[in-house]
Amino acid sequence: MKEIQRISPVEFKTSPLKTEKRNNWEVVMEYSGEGGGPYLVDLSHKPRFDLQDAGLAARKPFGIGIPETFGSSVLENGILVNRMNRTQVSLYCLTGQDNTGLPDEPGFTDVTESTIFIALIGKEVFSICEKLTALDFMNPERKTPFLYQGPFSHVPCQIVTLSRDKETSGILLTCSRGYGRDMIHAVLHAGEEFSLKPAGENRFTSWIKNL
Amino acid sequence: MALTITCPVCGKRNGYEFKFGGEEKGPRPEEKDLTPKAWCDYVHMNQCVAGVQKEWWFHKDGCGSWFTIYRDTTTNLEKEAGLANHQEADKS
Repeated sequence: MKEIQRISPVEFKTSPLKTEKRNNWEVVMEYSGEGGGPYLVDLSHKPRFDLQDAGLAARKPFGIGIPETFGSSVLENGILVNRMNRTQVSLYCLTGQDNTGLPDEPGFTDVTESTIFIALIGKEVFSICEKLTALDFMNPERKTPFLYQGPFSHVPCQIVTLSRDKETSGILLTCSRGYGRDMIHAVLHAGEEFSLKPAGENRFTSWIKNL
Repeated sequence: MALTITCPVCGKRNGYEFKFGGEEKGPRPEEKDLTPKAWCDYVHMNQCVAGVQKEWWFHKDGCGSWFTIYRDTTTNLEKEAGLANHQEADKS
């Protein structure tokens, strides 16, 4: 084999209409029968990093200031920075050509291929979440975007709520790669009554542009 | 009432997200002159307080932190540190 292949841990039964080869990933841009929302989008090809440092206050990953409060997030230049605890931060590169490499600084770990990364977007997203977790996404004390580290369908996850506006609601979720198949099964099953359908990356791109 | 636990990182969460880590027994004893009995007592013997006790918990489904809380074992309710210290002092 001349070229490496990167396989997403997420697989939908729906057939893809349009795909794109990017950084050795086969990225689905559009699925057949996506419907009118809500949508479940596989973003496992988006670069993700963890940063660990005892002195996080002095660090500026990708030139972005790290939020001080645990569980707070900041979205700047298409990069989402989530403060996990005193010493750790997770970074999701949401826009661009997905070729952001590991920064040439100490403390970074590339976790792109060890986790799944999905987006649940559109109306009724939180009704679906309510069936899978006891976490309170509507907590008025939390301002979007914010990070939850907790169980979703009994799996320890990182969940970032990006928007709670009715039609444009949306969350991002990551968990260990091994849970991929069962997590997708659980989310699609919970979303059945709300017409949740798998969607391609195009849906996510247009959604995040409108945030 | 179901147990809720306040994680120092994630805040108040459902008790099912956590794993119990045992009573807080103070620092590990010095190895110098440590007898097998003293070590065995430190590892295995518990106070089993009927009331407020300080104990370790692990946030297994969340942030992965180890931390201590005060819990009233008779009501299974978490107590605030200040209040718990006061109640412990009253008993002694």
